[in-house]
Amino acid sequence: MTIGTIAQISGPVIDVDFPDGTLPKIREALTVETDGTRRVMEVAQHTGGHTVRCVMLAASEGLCRGLPVVATGKTIEVPVGEATLGRMFNVLGDPIDGGEPVPASEPHWSIHRSPPSFEEQSPVVEILETGIKVIDLLEPYPKGGKIGLFGGAGVGKTVIIQELIHNVAMEHGGYSIFTGVGERSREGNDLWSEMRESGVSDKTALVFGQMNESPGVRMRVALSGLTMAEYFRDEEHRNVLLFIDNIFRFVQAGSEVSTLLGRMPSAVGYQPTLANEMGELQERITSTRSGSVTSVQAVYVPADDLTDPAPATTFAHLDATTVLSRKVAEQGIYPAVDPLESTSRILEPDLVGEEHYQIARRVQEILQKYSELQDIIAILGMEELGEEDRLTVMRARKIQRFLSQPFHVAEKFTGTPGVYVPLSDTLAGFKAIISGEMDEYPEAAFFNVGTIDDVKKKARELQSEAAS
Amino acid sequence: MGNRDTSSETLHAVLRSAERPSWPQEERMIAFLEHKYGQLVTLDWVEDPALRDGFLLKVGLDTYDWSVEGRLRQFKDAMDRLEHGEQEEDIIPLIRETVRAWKPRVAAEEMGQVLTVGDGIATVSGLSGAMYGEILIFSGGIRGMIQDLRREEVGCILFGDDAEIEAGSPVRRTGRTAGVPVGEGFLGRVVDALGAPIDGGGEIRAESYRPVERPAPGILDRQPVNQPMETGLLAIDSMFPIGRGQRELIIGDRQTGKTAIALDTMLNQKGKDVICIYVAIGQKASSVAQLVETLRRRGAMDYTIVVSASASDAAPLQYIAPYAGCALAEYFMEQGRDVLIVYDDLSKHAVAYRALSLLLGRSPGREAYPGDVFYLHSRLLERAAHLSEEKGGGSITALPIVETQAGDVSAYIPTNIISITDGQIFLESELFFAGQRPAVNVGLSVSRVGGAAQTKAMKSAAGAIRLDLAQYREMEVFTQFSSDLDETTRRQLTYGQGLMQLLRQPQYHPMAQHEQVITLICAMAHLLQDVPPAQVPACNRALLERIRVQAAELCRDIDRSGRLEPADRERILAIARDFLSEWRPSGSVKQHAQQ
Repeated sequence: MTIGTIAQISGPVIDVDFPDGTLPKIREALTVETDGTRRVMEVAQHTGGHTVRCVMLAASEGLCRGLPVVATGKTIEVPVGEATLGRMFNVLGDPIDGGEPVPASEPHWSIHRSPPSFEEQSPVVEILETGIKVIDLLEPYPKGGKIGLFGGAGVGKTVIIQELIHNVAMEHGGYSIFTGVGERSREGNDLWSEMRESGVSDKTALVFGQMNESPGVRMRVALSGLTMAEYFRDEEHRNVLLFIDNIFRFVQAGSEVSTLLGRMPSAVGYQPTLANEMGELQERITSTRSGSVTSVQAVYVPADDLTDPAPATTFAHLDATTVLSRKVAEQGIYPAVDPLESTSRILEPDLVGEEHYQIARRVQEILQKYSELQDIIAILGMEELGEEDRLTVMRARKIQRFLSQPFHVAEKFTGTPGVYVPLSDTLAGFKAIISGEMDEYPEAAFFNVGTIDDVKKKARELQSEAAS
Repeated sequence: MGNRDTSSETLHAVLRSAERPSWPQEERMIAFLEHKYGQLVTLDWVEDPALRDGFLLKVGLDTYDWSVEGRLRQFKDAMDRLEHGEQEEDIIPLIRETVRAWKPRVAAEEMGQVLTVGDGIATVSGLSGAMYGEILIFSGGIRGMIQDLRREEVGCILFGDDAEIEAGSPVRRTGRTAGVPVGEGFLGRVVDALGAPIDGGGEIRAESYRPVERPAPGILDRQPVNQPMETGLLAIDSMFPIGRGQRELIIGDRQTGKTAIALDTMLNQKGKDVICIYVAIGQKASSVAQLVETLRRRGAMDYTIVVSASASDAAPLQYIAPYAGCALAEYFMEQGRDVLIVYDDLSKHAVAYRALSLLLGRSPGREAYPGDVFYLHSRLLERAAHLSEEKGGGSITALPIVETQAGDVSAYIPTNIISITDGQIFLESELFFAGQRPAVNVGLSVSRVGGAAQTKAMKSAAGAIRLDLAQYREMEVFTQFSSDLDETTRRQLTYGQGLMQLLRQPQYHPMAQHEQVITLICAMAHLLQDVPPAQVPACNRALLERIRVQAAELCRDIDRSGRLEPADRERILAIARDFLSEWRPSGSVKQHAQQ
């Protein structure tokens, strides 16, 4: 075993000297012990001479120069396979659920792996029903595809992820991996107890490196979770669901250590290696001929700016994107999906069927027309519009409201029970609105309901209320 | 600290004193050092007129301080050690004993030397054993915290005036990472970011010393938020309820009543066994003084601690102030108590940290903030939690405050903090000046977990008021030029206007739970639909008074149990209908008395 000493500490970045000149390789894990605790760091660079530059995967407080550092000769390895199901882990694969450590006899994989080769790729074709109207209609999710949920702070990314876990993971029957990257510890606690209550925990592994942890942890934890999913895909040929909340934090953590590693900052202060880092990670999240990984990734949009380098780089890697908007949330419409910004690669007549395609495109046209007319309405009022435009506006407002829907996971806060709307009901509902069948109903009836029958029921209630 | 340099055979020592030592004196020193380090020693003498009655002996990294200051400091340390945990009355004999028994010791100490100093940052040589985050003591007692451990030097931020430190002056280690004293004695006091009192009220007896930076409770150490933290503000308790252990951001332009909400919430904790900590960061000292005065006058200081790093304090002090406040809060939380902590405000905190980072030479990112500005706030706010029963079940509820520019919530620091907290209360200056106070923007405000912590009574009374109001606001904009409104829309609009009027609440007038529940029940049942909007608040006040008289036990029940039986709801509605049938908009004598 090679032993070095700490030479320099600058926040999470540490220089270690190996006087005898046998340097650990890049990405090798090193350990240091202080106050009886073992901390891990990962080699990032050889800086010349006998020195390597490392990123800490723990806090740096309390370390001092001259402490001995042990090179383990391995990269970070996490347990994989059946033993991970029903458990909760940290970035190093150590359980944090209070249970026993995973025995060393179970398979362990390095978190650094290469992406599947070109010939192993398998294209996506089938639609994954989510029970969420706006998603199923306008940006249908592909089975085995990569799905992104983009949104600024507090517009409801995590709630949609949780609803998808509720609707898809619980119905899906296969294995799911949830990876919390730089998000709230409270959410981790909520998810852990929810999983146990709902009885799906024995098919699920959870991996967390939350926002209170050092940047090194947040940079690597997505890989730990992904490695567990890859094992099920490659070795057991299964169809795996992988949830990552939130992939932006991975980029952010990289930018926190980038300048300390001595790199020049790139656009908006991000690391110059942003696109490569993202590419390396994203290319591993994919379906192959041996098994599939359906991934749902939340992507935080800093300062509500979709052109920020981090979300902008992520867009290209995804098959379907759901964009959440503050303007929609402000109107009380949840999920706050922006219907004109969200897209899916499989919204094509060949893949979803002619009817679905036509309804979706017509809905988008109406909404687009309404957004164009909005300025005129704001200045002149509705009265100045022609008959046709007025009808479009009325239908558009009904569509906007009908795109909202109560969620199961939000029930304990709102008191309104959640609904799962099958794709056929979603299509029937929107078809009724665009064909003019629902023109007589008041728009308030379309708000926060499930199917078109619920709209009719709510309209009757509103009427009797007004009459009383 | 032993000398690690074993490669050279002879050791070089430097003696500094006012007068050259005599030959026998030098011999004795060399003999002592050779015995101690097991090596040959050569000794050089440097004249230093400042060291009149004593000397400084430097050997490698160790320093033997036999100057008057050094011995005095040893004496002071002995006295400091004596004070801890002793009773007041027998302190004098103890002091006498300590003074009698005290002898200066010859002990090696790690000393560094200031290389450069300026802009609140110092670099120091030596101190090879120093830890990352350790506190150093500079001449004049000024403290600093290690931020960078480089090969040959140590980078350090200063918690005091750098004008008193000069290059070449000595620096000592403390062996401790940055921390603050904590204890019950802090209640009712105003302290600085290092825990020293600044209210002129004498020493505070500390029970313990806690590091300012600590890891947040882990995932399993927590439990879901399930108890309400009542603010006494109808607009918040009904629509954006806050639970104990939640982080709820208060955000808005300057002068929109952000601090007022925090202050009202603190005042409302009176008699509820909640400890309040108010951390002022980068504020005018006079505003803080005024706030303390208000708290004192209203009897809230008994359960409150104010931590202040005002605008004139050094950036490093403003930087650690919230962590220090949080360390104090954790002390109480770990005893199983509930704490409310207000950080006023984190935008100034981010600015202070940006100043430090840029001065430390770290490269700027978006809006020139350093890359880890998110981590700065995330590790602070994650420390607010509701601990599991095994950990005592205590909680820290955090109310961070952030100032926006021209109502732009989507700027960098605001969105960063929104993405950390469990919700935000957005205050709008337009609403504020229109008289809608608290000026809560219903559409952009949200509370992600508080709903689970609302009492049953409150939850059933509040219903879907938030969505109703959000829809009302959208409808109001959409219909502003329309004349021919259908009946449903017209009713929705007057109903919304009435609700907005009800949500107006003057400062320092917290509403008890039963008042809020009754108000909401009547409003949500559309009972106030036909009252002209401007008259709604007065009408509601009179109505509450009536119910208090006619159903006093019911009010007490709601406050105590937090429950509301369907029969009680009917009873409230019956009294309200009865009252409204007699009530006239013009205002009776009784109404005037109410106003």
